[in-house]
Order: sequence, then structure tokens, then C-alpha cells
Amino acid sequence: MSIEIKTTEYVLKIVCFAIKGRLDAFEAPALRKRCDDFLAEGTAHFVFDLSEVTMLDSAGLAVLVSALKRSRMASGDVRLVWPREEIASRILKLTKFDQVFTSIDSSEIVPKGF
Amino acid sequence: MKIAIVSTHPPGKGSLTEYGYHFIRFLRTKTENVSEIILLLDELPAGEKYEFGQEPGQVPVSVHVCWKFGAMNNALRIRQTVLETKPDVVLFNIQFASFAGGKVAATLGLLAPWLVRSSGFKTAVLLHNIMETVNLKQAGFGGNPVIETVIRLFGNMVTRFILQANLVAVTIPKYVEILEAKYHANNVLLAPHGSFEETNREMPSAVPAGPPNIMTFGKFGTYKKVEVLVEAFERLLPDHPTAKLVIAGTDNPNVKGYLDGIRDKYARVPNITFTGYVSEEQVPIIFGDSWVVVFPYTSTTGSSGVLHQAGGYGKPVVLPRLGDLEQLVIEEGYEGEFFEPESPESLAEAICRVIDHPERMMEMGSVNFMAATGLPITEVVDWYLIHFEQLLKK
Repeated sequence: MSIEIKTTEYVLKIVCFAIKGRLDAFEAPALRKRCDDFLAEGTAHFVFDLSEVTMLDSAGLAVLVSALKRSRMASGDVRLVWPREEIASRILKLTKFDQVFTSIDSSEIVPKGF
Repeated sequence: MKIAIVSTHPPGKGSLTEYGYHFIRFLRTKTENVSEIILLLDELPAGEKYEFGQEPGQVPVSVHVCWKFGAMNNALRIRQTVLETKPDVVLFNIQFASFAGGKVAATLGLLAPWLVRSSGFKTAVLLHNIMETVNLKQAGFGGNPVIETVIRLFGNMVTRFILQANLVAVTIPKYVEILEAKYHANNVLLAPHGSFEETNREMPSAVPAGPPNIMTFGKFGTYKKVEVLVEAFERLLPDHPTAKLVIAGTDNPNVKGYLDGIRDKYARVPNITFTGYVSEEQVPIIFGDSWVVVFPYTSTTGSSGVLHQAGGYGKPVVLPRLGDLEQLVIEEGYEGEFFEPESPESLAEAICRVIDHPERMMEMGSVNFMAATGLPITEVVDWYLIHFEQLLKK
């Protein structure tokens, strides 16, 4: 009697945007466009690595919120790698988005153990 | 999610009608998150009524007229209506004088968020000003130091009641820090004002045709006073004889007759237009024709909707050197020319620094356009919805 083999393939696409510099009203549209393109092709899981963001304003935050809303609608999620710069992390705390977004370490972006 | 909103709304002419109108307009588009909007609005003068159509793709709205500016029982009536309509979340769009001009009625009205939460409903407050930064005298309250001290004490007490809401949103970062430091609050968050306008508008490609058009917009007479602006305009007329000054808007409800007084007092100054009430349809025309938008404020009571509107139309702005406004301009990415409050000379010079330099005018307009359109109010509404979802999970 031959063995029974049940094969399950797990494919989880996670797109990570590592952003360096200012994420403000002038730079946010480019990030939004990139994110929109991935959402349009079906990606629903995103990581925004903000560790090297030097400044984050409300227009930059709006991109994160828009991504979160749309990814959740597609049963996905958005996670953040927390900014190192105080000026950037301050606005995330003031908006209480530290309680809305799940934050992770940059080492956790790719699942460990492989 | 079934959301109730306590607010003013056109055709009402109370404070924050503009914000209420645009917030509700965009909330109605969020059909994926919101199943029903329950509007708890104030009583209108005889002959006027609220009108909300129902188009496909819009969240249905029900209107409950349940409070009256100046009444003592507003908090009780609002609570009763919330009990009857049973929303998932109640959002208050308010400032300290939303419910009345009188101190007692204003205070009693501001107990409404606490009463509603005490009745078991998730409650959020969008508080457009905080007592700590309001100049009471110039905002139409107070008058002598003893009364001001008493009002401040009541203000502290009322703030503590407001902070009993599940969430309190404010529009300026400094407000969050003040409330956290003074009241040890941990439920205060920053929710920027956002731009009222559609984001599909393009930045104007040139300065509007015709003579220089200097415009100010608002409800005047308390902390928005036009005397300094008119005197500054008078000073710049010899070098700009065709320039126009447009004073767009009405008296603040607490200072009826203010603009008529200005018209009489400065009858000698030519080229001034008083538009009176500006309807929603007229707003794009008023802003579109202007070269520069001036903020003749003597103090501020919160984030300025007019600043976001000016930015949305790609207009340069001239602002007084006052704490809130200057900070807002810097933190939200706007650019403006500044003047010393109460100095016509300083204001005239600031206006000339804009209107005499078309390239500078376009550059400032462009920066402000980017700042305003970077965060349209439709996205601010999403910020609230994400926080509400979080709140409902608890």
C-alpha cells in the first residue's frame, strides 16, 4: 500500500517598502503610487520599513492609513518597522497609530526558520 | 458601523458648519465601513430645514434635530436621542462655544460627551480648540480678570469631562501634548484638519487675471477682526490703486452688526467688497479669484479651516505671528508670509511681499497646494474610522 501524500503550498506575498529620507507631502505621492500598483495586482500584505525615515508628516501618514484600509479590505494587513528618528516616531505616537498598526523589527520582515 | 455625529450643518450658520458639512459629505462615501449615519443637529431658524438626498453609493442618513444653540438642556436631549437611535459610536464635532454663547449653557452642553459615554456608548470628540490656548477676551468671553479666572476653572473642569470620552481628537500636535501633560490623558490623539476640497483640482497655472485681489474669509468680530486689514489695505492703495479687498463672510453669531460697523467706520476706503454669507457654490469663485488670502486674527481658537481651503486652491497666505497658526503652518507643510498682529504697517508689507512678486506668489501657492491636497478630509475620515474600529474591538 502506497503512502498518502497531502501537499499544501503556502504562498504569502509580502511587499516591503524601505523608505529613506523625508516622507512628506512632496514625496508621499510616489509611495502611494507604488503601493496602489501592488494593491491593484492583488498584493494585500505590506511592510513599511520607516527605520530610515527622517521626517514623517500627515501626508505621509495618509499613505500608511490608505494602505492599511485597502489591505484590510483585501484580508491583508500592514506592519511598520518603527522609525529611529524621534521627529518621525513622534507623529505616530501623537496620532495613536502606534495602537493601530502592528510594529515589527526589520529582522522579522521575512519569516524566520528557513 | 452605525455612527452618530453631533454637529452643526448648513444651512445652519453656527460654528463648525463647514467642517461638519465636509466631514459628513465624505463619511457618506464610506459604504464599506459605515452602514448608517445618524445626524444629531441643532435647531434651525423658522423656515429653514436640513436637506439630505440619497444617491446610489451613499451611506443613508437620518436627521434628528435635538439641540439648540443657547439652550440649557442640550446634553440631556442629545443623550436621549442617542438612547433612542442606538449608534455604535457617537462623534462630537465641537469647540468650547458650540452649544451656547453664554457660559452656563455652553458648559452644560459640553457635558454631553460624558453623559453619552456614561450611558454605555462609545464616544469620540473632535475638539477644535482647547481652553488652554484660547484668548477668552478676544474669543468673545470674559471681560474682566475675575470672570476670566472663573471661566478658566470651569474650562478645566469641562475639559476633564470631555476627556471622559473614549477618544478625544485634536487638530494640532501641541494640543495633544498640553492635554497629556496637564490632565494625564492617554486617550487624546492628533487628527489633522484635512483639506475640504476635491483632490482632482489642479494647481492654478497663473495668477488670476485682473487687479490684485486680497481676500479674507470667515465669521468676523471676535478673534477675526478686519480693522487692521482694512488699514493695511488703505496703506497699500497709493502704490496699488486698482487693488481690491474682499471681506468674505458674515458676523460671528456672538458679535452681530460687527461688519456693518466696519463698513461705516471705513466708508472712506474704496475698493472694498463685503460679500455677506458665502454659499458652498460661491466658495470656489471667491478663492479662485483671490491673489492672496489674509488671516486677520488676533488670537486663534484652533486649526484654521480657511488655511486648508486656501491651500486647496493653491493660494499664498498672510498670517499673524501667533503661536497656533505659525506652528500649524510649519508642522503641516504650509508656507506663509507673517505679520505682527495689530500692526497695519507690518500687514501691508507682508501683503506686498506676496502680490508684488508673482513668482513668489506661485511658489507659495504651490507649496500650500501640496500641503492641503496631501491630506484631503476624505482620508482624515478614514483615520477616524480606523480608530473607531479599534475602539469597537475593545
